[in-house]
Amino acid sequence: MRSIRIDQETIISLEEKARQIRKDVVTMIHQSSDGHPSPALSIADMIAALYFHVLNIDPQNPEKPDRDRLILSKGHACTALCAALARRGFFPLSALPTFRSLHSILQGHPYQKKTPGLDATTGSLGHGISIGLGMVLAARVLGLDYFTYVIIGDGEQEEGLIWEAAMAAAKYKAGRLIVLADCNGLQSGGKIQEVGGIEPIQPKWEAFGWHTQSIDGHNLKEILSAILKAQQVEEKPSIILARTIKGKGVPFMENNNDWHKKVPTKEELELALAALGGNR
Amino acid sequence: MSALQSTRIAAIEAIDSLMEQNPRIVLVFADSVKVFRATELVKKYPHRCFDVGIAEQNAVTVAAGMASSGLIPFVATYAGFLTMRACEQIRTFVAYPKLPVIFLGANGGIAGGEREGVTHQFIEDLGIARILPSLSVVSPADAYETHQAVLRAVEQQGPVYIRIGSGRDPVFFEQPYPFEWGKAHVILEQNPEDAVIFATGGFMLHRCKQAVKLLNKEGFRISLLNIHTLKPLDTATVGRFLQRAKAAVTVEDHTVIGGLGSAIAEAASELYPVPLVRLGLQDTFAESGEPESLLDAYGMSVTNINESVKKVVSLKNQLGR
Repeated sequence: MRSIRIDQETIISLEEKARQIRKDVVTMIHQSSDGHPSPALSIADMIAALYFHVLNIDPQNPEKPDRDRLILSKGHACTALCAALARRGFFPLSALPTFRSLHSILQGHPYQKKTPGLDATTGSLGHGISIGLGMVLAARVLGLDYFTYVIIGDGEQEEGLIWEAAMAAAKYKAGRLIVLADCNGLQSGGKIQEVGGIEPIQPKWEAFGWHTQSIDGHNLKEILSAILKAQQVEEKPSIILARTIKGKGVPFMENNNDWHKKVPTKEELELALAALGGNR
Repeated sequence: MSALQSTRIAAIEAIDSLMEQNPRIVLVFADSVKVFRATELVKKYPHRCFDVGIAEQNAVTVAAGMASSGLIPFVATYAGFLTMRACEQIRTFVAYPKLPVIFLGANGGIAGGEREGVTHQFIEDLGIARILPSLSVVSPADAYETHQAVLRAVEQQGPVYIRIGSGRDPVFFEQPYPFEWGKAHVILEQNPEDAVIFATGGFMLHRCKQAVKLLNKEGFRISLLNIHTLKPLDTATVGRFLQRAKAAVTVEDHTVIGGLGSAIAEAASELYPVPLVRLGLQDTFAESGEPESLLDAYGMSVTNINESVKKVVSLKNQLGR
């Protein structure tokens, strides 16, 4: 059993980490002139909670066999993940501006062979839960007790493979598999409900035999409490449906799907950083 | 007609022996335990055999997760459901990160799918597997060679695709021989020869041997090579025979686009261009039938091989080489 400290001091510190990740996201995309800002901004709080408080990981030993795993199934949001890995000390901050450039350790979408601390290759949507289930089953074979966390988008639940994985994870009673769904309500082409029609989503997961929770995905206390609760579920895989705002933290990006993939100009970057608290 | 021995059972027996030695080896099925006659193995290793149901994309991606965490998974199901339905999963989640996952694809070729018909006759698997970077591709001749290929595959420390048959697979090697990964295997060498035949798969090798006998009687000198490893192709041996024979025929139970014929044509055009005929499915689907009669009906008969050899020899002579 793991314990997760949930007190005011922790929350304030994680909020600051999330703010820093958001600043890194918009800065990286501006500097590298490519990337997906708003899908990364919506997961910043979950990424901060996991990398700075929950995950059992060691930047000095990124491959340690009993580390917790995290798979960013919605790989296009990887600027948030890269920022967290750099801030956590897996590689120098100087790598961040090289994102999506030739010979960078930070590929356009996550690639496990190049980026220290990165557990899985992703980017093609719908695959994270299957990879995570493989990692959970590997832990059983190897006698290890790590947790595997997967962050999926809401749009990618339109992929059939998600539901193949959902069935198999329930069959294998994958209690150490914890999925966080970033439910920001938008996908590349528009509103989730207009493009794919996945709702009602919670009853689907329940029907597939999963433990489900619904939270505010920008409330760190709720994020930590939900993860703690999910860790205690032993016989079922867990999904935390986190309601989020695409572009969260940068007012002109919030719920504006133009920012799904768009590079902020110098002026837009300055506005975004000011909204995120500037250099404080 | 030669004796039959199942390549599926041979693969599972080899995996059994590997699992005894290496606790990191696991098996993932997609409702394919019975297909591979693996019920006993699953009973022996219930915690290292996983069946995700009729869900090939999930089987491959789960295996990618396992391999990322230190295991060496085999994924065993039908060749086409692996290489077509789960093609992207093999490419992006296994081949791209160079993970040690070994794929066993059953029903390779029309002789492998035989009476099941086109839906279960996989004539594209080798070509699809071959174009994926970092994936090794092996097409064993029979049960013995399948056993050897499986044992060697885990030593590659990277992804491997192995083509398996229907379970009613002709024995080609009556005696063990030293199987070498990535090497062309010389079955018959007549130095110097009028033409060289490159073949893959047991049904094809048997037919080639018969064709060579007939050709010998007519005064043709022929060398026959078994290309069990399509990737990496043994270009040194292939090039040496092309240069000496100056005429070649390829024979495979696969579409001639993308498989052995393409591999040899690519090598020949870069190493030593020669007249070349590619036997196999000529850009067509087949139909249900008995394996031997199917192969005869779709352009892979002994007569087809015979005539193709004569054709390339004639072309060579016209070129004055």
